[in-house]
Amino acid sequence: MTVSEYQVVGRHLPTEADPNPKIYRMRIFALNEVVAKSRFWYFLRQLKKVKKANGEIIGVNVIHEKKPLKVKNFGIWLRYDSRSGTHNMYKEFRELSRADAVKSLYQDMAARHRARFRSIHILRVVEIEKNEDVRRPYIKQLLAPGLRFPLPHRVQKSRSTFVAHRPSTFN
Amino acid sequence: MVGPNNLLYAVSIRSESTFKRFVEVGRVVLLRSGPHAGKTAVIAEIIDHNRAIIDGPATGIPRHAFPYRHLTLTPFRLPKLPRGAGSGTVLKQLTSEGIVEKWNKSTWATKRTAIEKRKSLNDFERFKTFVAKKSRRDVVRKSVKAAKKA
Amino acid sequence: MARSKTLSPHVGRLSRSQVFAKRGLHKGQKKSEKLAVPETPLTREVSVGGEKNGSTRTVPTSKAPRYYPAEDVRKPKKSRKTIVPTKLRPSITPGTVLILLAGRFRGKRVVFLKQLESGLLLVTGPFRVNGVPLRRVNQAYVIATSTKIDFEGITIDEKINDAYFAKAPIKGRTSAEEEFFAEGKPKEKEPIPESKAADQKAVDKAIIAAIREEEYLAKYLKATFGLTKGQYPHQLKF
Repeated sequence: MTVSEYQVVGRHLPTEADPNPKIYRMRIFALNEVVAKSRFWYFLRQLKKVKKANGEIIGVNVIHEKKPLKVKNFGIWLRYDSRSGTHNMYKEFRELSRADAVKSLYQDMAARHRARFRSIHILRVVEIEKNEDVRRPYIKQLLAPGLRFPLPHRVQKSRSTFVAHRPSTFN
Repeated sequence: MVGPNNLLYAVSIRSESTFKRFVEVGRVVLLRSGPHAGKTAVIAEIIDHNRAIIDGPATGIPRHAFPYRHLTLTPFRLPKLPRGAGSGTVLKQLTSEGIVEKWNKSTWATKRTAIEKRKSLNDFERFKTFVAKKSRRDVVRKSVKAAKKA
Repeated sequence: MARSKTLSPHVGRLSRSQVFAKRGLHKGQKKSEKLAVPETPLTREVSVGGEKNGSTRTVPTSKAPRYYPAEDVRKPKKSRKTIVPTKLRPSITPGTVLILLAGRFRGKRVVFLKQLESGLLLVTGPFRVNGVPLRRVNQAYVIATSTKIDFEGITIDEKINDAYFAKAPIKGRTSAEEEFFAEGKPKEKEPIPESKAADQKAVDKAIIAAIREEEYLAKYLKATFGLTKGQYPHQLKF
C-alpha cells in the first residue's frame, strides 16, 4: 500500500444560528480516501467543536507531487504516543515526494519504536531547500560533493548447488 | 562502524580505494530485473544507500528510481555529468563519450547478446548449430593430429 | 408441480417460493387462449349381444392397462453432454514439424499432414527419412515446433481417414491347444499389406521433395529429440 497526500475540505452543517459555517481544509497523509476522511474528522473534532455527526465533507482530492523525479530532502515534525508517554520528534528523509517521505517515516517509526499508524500524528512536512539546513548526519552524508561508494560483497546467484570455484564477491 | 561512517571514509580516500566501480553520478549500470532488464542506464542522482535515479535516454529507459540490488555497475562512466542532470544532458554526454558503442563492443555485452541469441533459437536452428559445431570439432581434431605428426 | 422435480416422494427440488418465482405469476396470469382440443368422452356405448345383457353397455374409451409395475423403476438420467470436435492447436498447421512425446516413436520428429475426423493428427516421418509410418497421434502428446515444410500444392488422399487405420478383423481363431503351445515362441510377423506400403510411398513422395528443398532438414527429421544438461523444456523455444 502506498501513502498518498489528500486535501480534505469540510465544515459544520449549516444551522439557523450559523447559516454559513467556517470551512476547514487539511492536508492528510493516508492510504486511501476513506482513511483520509476518517483522519480529517479525528483531527477536526480535537481542534474544533465539529464532528462527523454534525458536519459534512465538501471535497477530497489527491495532492500530487509537483516534481516527482527530483530528489528532495524532507524534514518531518511528528508526535507519537509511545507505551509510556507522548513525544515530539523531528526526522529527515531523502525521497522523491512528500508522500514517499511520509511512507518511509511510518516504516522508520515502526522499525525503531514499534509505533503504529494510529499512534503517530504528522505535524509538518517541509522540503529542506538549502543543503546547510539539513540537520541529520544520515542525510548530510548523502549531500557530500563527489559522493561515491562501492557496492561491496555482491553475491551472484549460481544455478547449480555445487560449483568448482568460489564466487567472486568483489569487483 | 557500518553504514554512514564507512561512506564518508570511502569518499575521503577516493584515490586509494581498491574498488574499481562505484555508485556515483554518471556511472553506467546494467539493469538486472524489471521491464527494462538487460538494458544499460546512467545514474543521474543518488537518492540514498539503496536507490538511485537512473536515466537511459539512449536505450529507451525512462528516468526513474531504481534499487542497487537489481543492477550491476559497469566499468563505464560519464566523468563530467553534473549531479541531477536532466535527460537531455545525459543523452548529449552519452553520445559524445560514445558509451553505447563502447558498451556494445565490450566483451560483456557481446557475450550477453550471444547468450540471448542462443536462447532465442528454435529447435531446428539448435540442430543446425549442433551440426556446425560437430563439423568444427572435426576440422580442429584433424588439424591437431596433422600438426602432432609433423 | 412439474417445475419442481421430486427429490424424494412428496419433496420437491424447489421451495414453495422458488416454484412461485418460476411460475412467474408476478407477470400476470397467462391470457392466451388454449387450443381447442376435441373433447373425447370418457366412456362410449357399445352394443352387446345376448338378451339378458340389455343390448348396450358403457365401456371406457381407452382401456386402462392391465399391467403396471409394482415397484418404481428409476429412469436413467439423460446426458446433456454433446460431442465437441477437437480444436487443433493454432501452432499446428499442415507441414509443421512435430516432436512425438509418447509411444513407440517418442522423440522422433515428424511432419504433420492433417487433422482427422476423430481429432487425431495424421503424421508421417516420412518413412524413408526416419522410419515413422503414416500414423495417428493425439495432439496432447506432441510438441509443435516453429519449423514448417513448404506444404504448397501437397494434397493428402481422402481415403486416408480414421477407417483406414482400423484393425482388420482376426480371421479364424486359433484353437486353445495351439495357443497354449505357441506361448513363449515369437509371434509370426504379419506382412504389411502392399496397398498400405504403396499409400505410404505416394504420400511421402511430395513431402520428401519438399524436405529436400532445405538444407539439413532431412538430417533434422532423422535425428531424435532429447534434452541435454541445463536444458529445460519450458525455457526452450521450439
